[in-house]
Amino acid sequence: MHTLGETRSRFLIRAWTAFVVLAIYLPIACGALAGLSKGRYFAFPVRVLSGEWWGKTWDSFEIHVLVQNSLLIALLVTVLSVLFAFFGALAFARYPWKGRRAFQRLLLLPIFFPQPVLGLALLLWFNALGISPTWKTAVVAHLVWIVPVVTLVIAIQVFSFDPVLEEAASDLGASRLFTLRTVTLPILWPGIWSGALFAFLLSWGNFPLSLYTAGADSTVPKWLYSKMVAGYTPMVPALGTMSTLAAAALLLAGGLIRILVRRRMR
Amino acid sequence: MSSVASPTPFSPAAPKTPRPVLQLVDVCKLFDGFAAVDGISLDIDEGEFVTIVGPSGSGKTTLLRMLAGLESPSDGYITLRGELINDVPSNRRPTCLVFQSLALFPHMTVGDNIEFPLRVRKVAPDERRRRALELMAKVRLPEDYYAKNVMLCSGGEKQRVALARAFAYDPDVLFFDEPLSALDYKLKKLLEKELKDLHRESGKTFVYITHSLEEAMVMSDRIGVMRAGKLVQIGTPEQIYTAPADRFVAEFFGEVNVIPVRRSADGWLRRDGRPVAVAPGLAIAGDEASVVVRPEYMRFVTAEAGADNTISGTIFNEYSLGSRLQYQVRSRTGRTFLVEVPRAAAWKGDGEVTIGWDAASAIVVGG
Repeated sequence: MHTLGETRSRFLIRAWTAFVVLAIYLPIACGALAGLSKGRYFAFPVRVLSGEWWGKTWDSFEIHVLVQNSLLIALLVTVLSVLFAFFGALAFARYPWKGRRAFQRLLLLPIFFPQPVLGLALLLWFNALGISPTWKTAVVAHLVWIVPVVTLVIAIQVFSFDPVLEEAASDLGASRLFTLRTVTLPILWPGIWSGALFAFLLSWGNFPLSLYTAGADSTVPKWLYSKMVAGYTPMVPALGTMSTLAAAALLLAGGLIRILVRRRMR
Repeated sequence: MSSVASPTPFSPAAPKTPRPVLQLVDVCKLFDGFAAVDGISLDIDEGEFVTIVGPSGSGKTTLLRMLAGLESPSDGYITLRGELINDVPSNRRPTCLVFQSLALFPHMTVGDNIEFPLRVRKVAPDERRRRALELMAKVRLPEDYYAKNVMLCSGGEKQRVALARAFAYDPDVLFFDEPLSALDYKLKKLLEKELKDLHRESGKTFVYITHSLEEAMVMSDRIGVMRAGKLVQIGTPEQIYTAPADRFVAEFFGEVNVIPVRRSADGWLRRDGRPVAVAPGLAIAGDEASVVVRPEYMRFVTAEAGADNTISGTIFNEYSLGSRLQYQVRSRTGRTFLVEVPRAAAWKGDGEVTIGWDAASAIVVGG
């Protein structure tokens, strides 16, 4: 039995959820449809559906290079940023030292910096150093923006870590390394995983930084943009949809791994 | 023997039997100039159960952390079996601490938690498992808990896991930092007894800290009372209870009547001008003192049963303590006294009473 008020609030919650989901996914669905259109140009409604452009996208050598570039950048950024962020997060969330609060604020700043400006600044800086921009400089640029984000994500986990556990491990005879391996790292794994996922997805989808700092090397978002500006083909929405689906698959896989790990614990 | 830097000269007394396993000499710990532990000297004998009690902030946890190697002393010496261990890190000490929060590893099973110290020592998995199951039986954990997630255990079970883990390390001395404080009364009582049994069976030295006098009384061979970083008194529960060193210790050990007195020119101790009789031989330093009378030594004075010291007043509260009754009596001068009598001796008359106590049952403490 539900009162009228309860029924009404349930309805409102459902309606609101549906609205949010629609608002987010309808545009993506439209993009996906555009990629499935048989026509050469972007027009609604789609008259004839076909997988032709998906096939072309899948087989295109140009796209292969793009995906390889984006993957390489994203993987490198993931590994490096998790490494930096893990120790950074430990530093300010685990150990008390003078200036840790200032460090925390300073670390946050690049996140709020508009990315195009940051990209331009980095490009000027690379020029000043005499480094010509390639995908390698893009990695550095991505790191500048992504390391703080990942640090924050991992720090959330570190904040909930009880330092007494490390003391207990030491008291039971464990060395620092043994403690790190068997106590600290396993407990922080969920945070590190989330951080790695964030790093990968943020790098994979990043456009403004890549635009300025990747030089002649192209990435998926860069290519999508340039084709939208001039030389549209339905490969654009096709690749966009593929990219979105891949990201979704990655997130799902991440969640699945976590569930499996938790189940093994019991 | 010409070797120097040995701390033995600090204990010139001939070795007692049993030999002290832990010796503290003038141990201090300063935090930014504040002395959390302020010059504590103490010998703890092999196989002893010593409890340090004190209010929060008295420095007892800091003291324990220094003994466990989680802090190093700012001054003084700590020796274990005659060896100076001031700067020996916790993972190199044959001691183990059961933390207040228990510090169980949340990502491990009960079995993995208990086996942790064995894993550190690279004991083979089969042997580890055997030892863990043995210890689980010892602390009365069911065998099928071996593979259970430790976070799914109840408070009492977690306690047992922590204990088994500490025993798995096989330390010479076990430290306890108020591990029972978060448990409900009944479980606490049960675990106190079990801990005492474990102490007897294992023959290991236990150093326990708590703010609960009751806990200390039940379990300890000796009790040390700490206040503001100093060890105020150390002795058997009996000694601490019957002969508190000062007013602080007396008051810490339960409800007491504290009667401030002054020494007058004729040598008598006087309360508001009236002489107070105390047992001979209770010497005090200075002119200000307190006469301490436990509520169970106070009684109602009648024509038939007198007392060495008497006070008249009015009953204004009566509490039932189960088998005993406690009365609050307000004297003419506005002071409140506690009288505790067996239920059979309940006061039958009106509110106007005379209460009193015998000189032999009072203690005189300084301050």
